[in-house]
Amino acid sequence: MKRNTMSYKVQQFLMFAGAASVLFLAVVIIPFIYGIYLTLTSWDGIAKTKPFVGLANYVEAFKDVAYWQALGRTAIYSFFAVILINIVAFALAYLVTSGIKGQNFFRAGFFVPNLIGGIVLGYVWKFVFNRAFVAIGNAIAGGNVPSLLSTTSGAMFCLILVSVWQFAGYMMLIYVAGFMSVSDTLKEAAMIDGCTPTQAMFNVTIPLMRASFVQCIFLSITRCFVIYDVNLSLTKGEPFNTSVMAAMHVYNTAFTYKKYGLGQAEALILFAVCAIVGVTQVYIGKKGEVAA
Amino acid sequence: MMKHFRKAAAAALAAVLAAGLLAGCGGGSASGGSDGGSEGGAGITIFNSKMEIQDKLEEKAAEYSEEKGVPVEVYYSSDTVAAHLATRYSSNEPYTISMVDAKDVYALAAEHALDLSDQDWVANTTQAITIDGKTYGFPVCVEARGIIYNADAIKNATGKDFDPASIKTTDDFKAIIEECKKGGMESPVGVMKEDWSLAGHFLAEVYEQHDDPDAFIAGVKDGSIKLIEDQKFNDMMDTFDVLRDNNYAKDAAISAEREVTEQKLAEGEIAFMFGGNWDWSVINAYDYSENMGMMPVPNNSGDGTNEKLVGGGSKYFFIDSSENTSAEQQQAAKDFLNWLANDEEGQSFVVNDCALVPAFSNNTLEVTDPLGKSVKAYADAGALIGNYNYLPDDHYSVVGASMQKYLAGEIDRAGLADEITSYWAGAEVGAH
Repeated sequence: MKRNTMSYKVQQFLMFAGAASVLFLAVVIIPFIYGIYLTLTSWDGIAKTKPFVGLANYVEAFKDVAYWQALGRTAIYSFFAVILINIVAFALAYLVTSGIKGQNFFRAGFFVPNLIGGIVLGYVWKFVFNRAFVAIGNAIAGGNVPSLLSTTSGAMFCLILVSVWQFAGYMMLIYVAGFMSVSDTLKEAAMIDGCTPTQAMFNVTIPLMRASFVQCIFLSITRCFVIYDVNLSLTKGEPFNTSVMAAMHVYNTAFTYKKYGLGQAEALILFAVCAIVGVTQVYIGKKGEVAA
Repeated sequence: MMKHFRKAAAAALAAVLAAGLLAGCGGGSASGGSDGGSEGGAGITIFNSKMEIQDKLEEKAAEYSEEKGVPVEVYYSSDTVAAHLATRYSSNEPYTISMVDAKDVYALAAEHALDLSDQDWVANTTQAITIDGKTYGFPVCVEARGIIYNADAIKNATGKDFDPASIKTTDDFKAIIEECKKGGMESPVGVMKEDWSLAGHFLAEVYEQHDDPDAFIAGVKDGSIKLIEDQKFNDMMDTFDVLRDNNYAKDAAISAEREVTEQKLAEGEIAFMFGGNWDWSVINAYDYSENMGMMPVPNNSGDGTNEKLVGGGSKYFFIDSSENTSAEQQQAAKDFLNWLANDEEGQSFVVNDCALVPAFSNNTLEVTDPLGKSVKAYADAGALIGNYNYLPDDHYSVVGASMQKYLAGEIDRAGLADEITSYWAGAEVGAH
């Protein structure tokens, strides 16, 4: 049988990827296209008719001040969270590959926060911030110390802290794999050539781990931009709706305020922003990648 | 030979993988289909959005099914009511009976609700929702807002019996708070920081206490009424200031937790809180005092609004009118609502099992919880100011944030009035 005929290729594709493609089409591509259609309607999410309004929802989305505030807030949050997640994850990965005692135990330990769902995690931390920290603060300062979650910048700080705590363990695994992929011989050679361990780290190990960085930063950016679960259970947008992130604003607009079309349009803008940032980062990151 | 074997093995493996993929998602959709329960037969489904009665309702539904031979299934979701129903409608599996808020009935009735005008119970209630002459909404209960007081706590502090009727004006209210303070109660008030309480309930009273809330809101919207100069707004905010200044969590008002506040009220650490009779479901979880009750929000306006609670029908049942619900099911649903309103057992279920205040005049059972008793007394005396059910969906959240800022002292009254005014400039009240 010839292997370069069209029918052979189609047959092979269907055999190996057919079912998955159909599913992907059914649960991702078609809903996505249908979602784009919905942005052109003024549907409220429940009515039988979906009046067509053209691009009105996009015009309204661009005029929705609360949305752009939420998006700006998300960008600030993502900026700090992504940097911190990766620094912490890299440090942890270094720690658990450096041969300390019980490093497998530590690997498992650092990874555990990632296994707890965002909702549960948010409630646990809410308790810590609202009760535990406040009780400690009251004991030290005396009187009624307000919770961190009750101030605008405090709530943002809490969100970043919890996200770092949650994601760092996951990214750590990727960095661990990165560390292990760098052959010891290269490092040894560098040391023989007169590198200090720090120089070897920055000039040999890190450049060879570039792929891990690209991957981790991409994953953390895309996850941070669409954060919802921790946002919902930890701050619920409070205080004064100043911790509402973009995804939460989209949810509220579409479902709570019953402007489904507008919410969908805003979700699409969020998707575009997220995709542009993510792809740009990967493009820049990949360009300078070196192979060992 | 070997080649053939390899090929067959690869095909088999691919098939197994594909089957695994499909099985994973097939299982999901199968379970999604079976919980609909609306296809065929006269079995009915009820959507409950009142979390505190879910257990009782499930129990009763099982009994009811047994007795009447009509399978009744009860569902609950903590999602926003409209959002949850939207998913059911888009999958063509609506509930036979759905319990929703008043505003949802106005939004949904035209397309989704069955006309219930011909039902017997309509004559026995003033709280049913009627749109264009057709009755769609069956009131589940009556709920009202006001100041919840703990009379035992006040007596402990002041040494005198507390008479809620003696507190009419903001000045009276200030005086009794001072008296409590002198008696050793440091800060006698709790304030819930939840946006639905601050904006949806307290600020809404500013609208509702006007003779014509529609006209008032329209005035604020077009600028002909300056909110900051409005007498009612200022009277109510004066009272709010008293609440705020005597809040036990004054320095950390935004991190006060509802449960903690209600626990303090129940156990008499504080004496007053703005709330409604639904708060009983929280209060009764604690070691509560015997003598509690509700009184109208005191204010200095002297127009009689300080002698009435604000409230009315709360949570409404409507029956689905779509082709997904058979005539048989619709009849069974009507029977269920009739049973709830008119049958002794149904009446007892509402009042005794669920501890709700009945919305029907022919349900004369004694309400058991103290807050409900107050509400019933005011309702029977005709001293309820009706709910304004047409606030936009984002009102409680957007204006709630402004109220929270005011509570935390981040903006002053003029700033609050500005934010509320600018909210209304871009908002539309619901259809009614």
